[in-house]
Amino acid sequence: MSLEALVCRLAPYERQVMANNAQEATHDPTHIRNFSIIAHIDHGKSTLSDRVLEMTGTVAKRDMKDQLLDSMDIERERGITIKSQAVRVDYTADDGQVYQFNLIDTPGHVDFTYEVSRSLAACEGAVLVVDATQGVEAQTVANAMMAMNANLEIIPLINKIDLPSADPDRCREEIEDGLAIPADDAVLASGKTGEGVHDLLEAVVYNIPAPTGEADAPLRALIFDSYFDAYRGVVALIRVVDGSIRKGDRIRMIATGVNALVEEVGARRPAEVPLDCLSVGEVGYLVTGLKDVSQVKVGDTITMAEGGVSEALPGYREAKPMVYTGLFPIDSDQYEPLKEALEKLSLNDPALIWEPETSHALGFGFRVGFLGLLHMEVIKERLEREFGLDLLATAPSVEYRVHRQGGEVLSIRSPQEMPDPGEIDFIEEPYLKAKILIPPDYVGAVMDLTVQRRGVFTTMSYLSQTTVEMLWEIPLSELIMDYFDKLKSSTKGYASLDYEFEGYKPSELVKLDILLSGKPIDALSFIVHKDKAYDRGRVLCEKLKEIIPRQMFEVPIQAAVGGRVLSRQTVKAKRKDVLAKCYGGDISRKRKLLEKQKAGKKRMKAIGNVEVPQEAFMAILKVDD
Amino acid sequence: MPHDSYKALYLHIPFCVKRCGYCDFATQAVARDSSLIDEHVEDLCLQIRRKAKEGELGEIETVYIGGGTPSHIGMSRLSMLLYTLSLSMRLEPDVECTMEANPESLDERMVRDIWALGVNRLSIGVQSFDDAVLQTLGRAHDADAARRAIAVAQERFDNVSLDLMCGIPGQSVESFAASVDDAVCLGVTHVSVYPLTIEPFTRFDKMVARGELEEPDDDVEAEHMEIAERILVEAGFHRYEVASYAKPGFECRHNKAYWTGVPYLGLGRAAATMTQNAERRMRVQDGVVTDDLDPRQMAAEDLMLGMRMSEGVSQELIDRAAVLIPRMSEVVDDLVDRGLAFRDGDRLKPTKQGWLCGNELYGALLDLAP
Repeated sequence: MSLEALVCRLAPYERQVMANNAQEATHDPTHIRNFSIIAHIDHGKSTLSDRVLEMTGTVAKRDMKDQLLDSMDIERERGITIKSQAVRVDYTADDGQVYQFNLIDTPGHVDFTYEVSRSLAACEGAVLVVDATQGVEAQTVANAMMAMNANLEIIPLINKIDLPSADPDRCREEIEDGLAIPADDAVLASGKTGEGVHDLLEAVVYNIPAPTGEADAPLRALIFDSYFDAYRGVVALIRVVDGSIRKGDRIRMIATGVNALVEEVGARRPAEVPLDCLSVGEVGYLVTGLKDVSQVKVGDTITMAEGGVSEALPGYREAKPMVYTGLFPIDSDQYEPLKEALEKLSLNDPALIWEPETSHALGFGFRVGFLGLLHMEVIKERLEREFGLDLLATAPSVEYRVHRQGGEVLSIRSPQEMPDPGEIDFIEEPYLKAKILIPPDYVGAVMDLTVQRRGVFTTMSYLSQTTVEMLWEIPLSELIMDYFDKLKSSTKGYASLDYEFEGYKPSELVKLDILLSGKPIDALSFIVHKDKAYDRGRVLCEKLKEIIPRQMFEVPIQAAVGGRVLSRQTVKAKRKDVLAKCYGGDISRKRKLLEKQKAGKKRMKAIGNVEVPQEAFMAILKVDD
Repeated sequence: MPHDSYKALYLHIPFCVKRCGYCDFATQAVARDSSLIDEHVEDLCLQIRRKAKEGELGEIETVYIGGGTPSHIGMSRLSMLLYTLSLSMRLEPDVECTMEANPESLDERMVRDIWALGVNRLSIGVQSFDDAVLQTLGRAHDADAARRAIAVAQERFDNVSLDLMCGIPGQSVESFAASVDDAVCLGVTHVSVYPLTIEPFTRFDKMVARGELEEPDDDVEAEHMEIAERILVEAGFHRYEVASYAKPGFECRHNKAYWTGVPYLGLGRAAATMTQNAERRMRVQDGVVTDDLDPRQMAAEDLMLGMRMSEGVSQELIDRAAVLIPRMSEVVDDLVDRGLAFRDGDRLKPTKQGWLCGNELYGALLDLAP
């Protein structure tokens, strides 16, 4: 039997595997398709990506792990993507030609908006995934807007059509009305069953344009992600825009001005396959041997060290933290290990910034800046899990600008840095532009909640009969106070939220101190709007009373502004703890019980002689109005 | 391993007429005529014989037959057990031999017969003299039965102990105080007072989780414990352990063995055995090693257990521990500073506060050698 005949008899899946093995992939830019899959969180993006890999034979079915592209444990557990990924897939289309697909998976959370924008800049097209049971949500809109801003061709895909509550017609309407994207030809698919994935692959071939770029021009390549590999140095994910790059080239990063030697280039399938060269239009990885990830920044442009271009690709920006929190080791012996762990994590995360901080209550630790609350939670969890640290995080704060009498401006990231009220002329705080999508029934609820949080209403418009878009200006400090949870609960989970930085505005802010047994606890103080100080102080005292366990003595809790006490609660002294029989067989049990109690205490921090549990420092986030 | 002689023997009878709502002991509700009980008693007798032949019972000074409810298994099995015991070790009046009994299964004949067979101390599970409270607990007896059982016991035994429980949902201060008063009036020589603890997987645990039962309140329990002490001390009892009160000379020697690092042998399912020499202490239960301690841990444990008793621990014991544990004196000073312990001559003793917040006190001592 001829080889051709054999191939014809094989199922399409095996054909694909053979095509891969034959390495028929072309470097002809007309047969390259670079695209991304974008979606609101939980709309099934990762599952769909997995199905694409499986159906193109890139990953054999038996090697499929759910959500293959999310490689970190935390990503898989939380069902979110934190780092960008790029996977090369060879697809034999119905026209018999083999196409090189580069599928770029972008982070799926508002905290990582900038990374998303750079990943999109590496693409010509995007698949917009909309959950057939949920319809268009806030990040669907935000991501579609970003894709349109990046001039991408958008293929709408309605996912989860296998679910009984799927409503593809409503989705189509919302995509057309809300996003002005024609949806008649939207692909109907199910990442779970694999239905419609073939249609998607064909749509990618026919609807997404091939990359354009000058093969003979000097090298320009976009870095859309980078990370540190202990054995190879910094590895970047790049998209070649003009020219080509090969092993041994001397290159230069335009924004950072750093030179490096190309030690390896290649593609991910998803295992890394080294190649001679990445040429115009291609996406792949680049091994630099550099030691510091901040030398290879997301959004920067690579060119040749000799005879390269001087003009960078547009869109580069420094990643800037929005939220700051104090991280303190519960056991002071872990200060150095914490420092080393932060150093290791920041090798891979240029958005993670930190500096030493000292607290009277908590001792030595670090003030760490994050892109957002999710970023913060993820980093804290990784520090605890991967590095075995026991950490205490103080309530997140934002960066305030304090204008002193006499004109000096201070940037403060921690309430402890706040000068005395007498020295302050005025204070500015960061505001966000927030976009909230809700069904019309909840407009009133969102108004109430957001005005309470000092939000300023901008506009409102109907995206469709069932979706209202509200725009607000809201202080970042209010947003990080469980605003999102409150928004979700006051709209029965329908609301979705997206935000971007707006700017600094003057605000009447004061520092609220919390005192335990009469002593101010710096790690519990926070900055609050003057009009809210009383309520927040009162509620926080009540919360702390619940959280702080009874001790051997009475513990008064007070909230005060500038020495004036606003509120007081008392944790009564403990009169008795567990008293059980302790005869022969009970002694072993008693030992275990006491060990458990000790482990519980390890999660607490002794401040003076008061044992304060972790949650106390986060209580301010959970303050109901 | 070569080990110090056992001084205390515990025999476990894991059967009851019914299981009480709070109970998480190793016991089961089994009908009195069940062959399970026969098998268990026969097995116990064989184990006693074997240990006797191995020479492990030669220095036993106290015996405790506990449960479950030993009185539930009836006189014929008890006589077989006690007869085997008297053949296997020296069961003279100077050896303290306690048996637990519940009011519903203790009668005149049993009292006379076990007395004749060498039992010289009876511990009766009364819990309360308030019928409503007994019903909450799910006990098989009422207050009258309890009074009758005590009177019957006192016909032969002058060493009779009662268990009382406090902090029971629905139990008022008055109800509890009345039960303590009753114990005093009935003329028993020993009383144990325990606050109700909700143990995991018990019926009470489920009821608390479902909101059908109020969780015992620490403040109420603390108040009850204080009332018990006031009444009993006034009546001439001495609080020799955090939960144990005795008339002079009636302290339970067997229980004191547990708190003073004396090696004990336990026979019968779920009974714990503590075997030790100068280098090592092991506790074994159902063939499983539950603790394996080195000399430092032994020293710390002896201090922890010793502080359950009003006499506390001697300076000599502390000094011996200090040789192994350098921060010993620092921890003792801290306990005294925090009002959990006080020095009395050459002894360190627990304060009232130290007893009430026992986990603080014991935790600090156990933590000397984790």
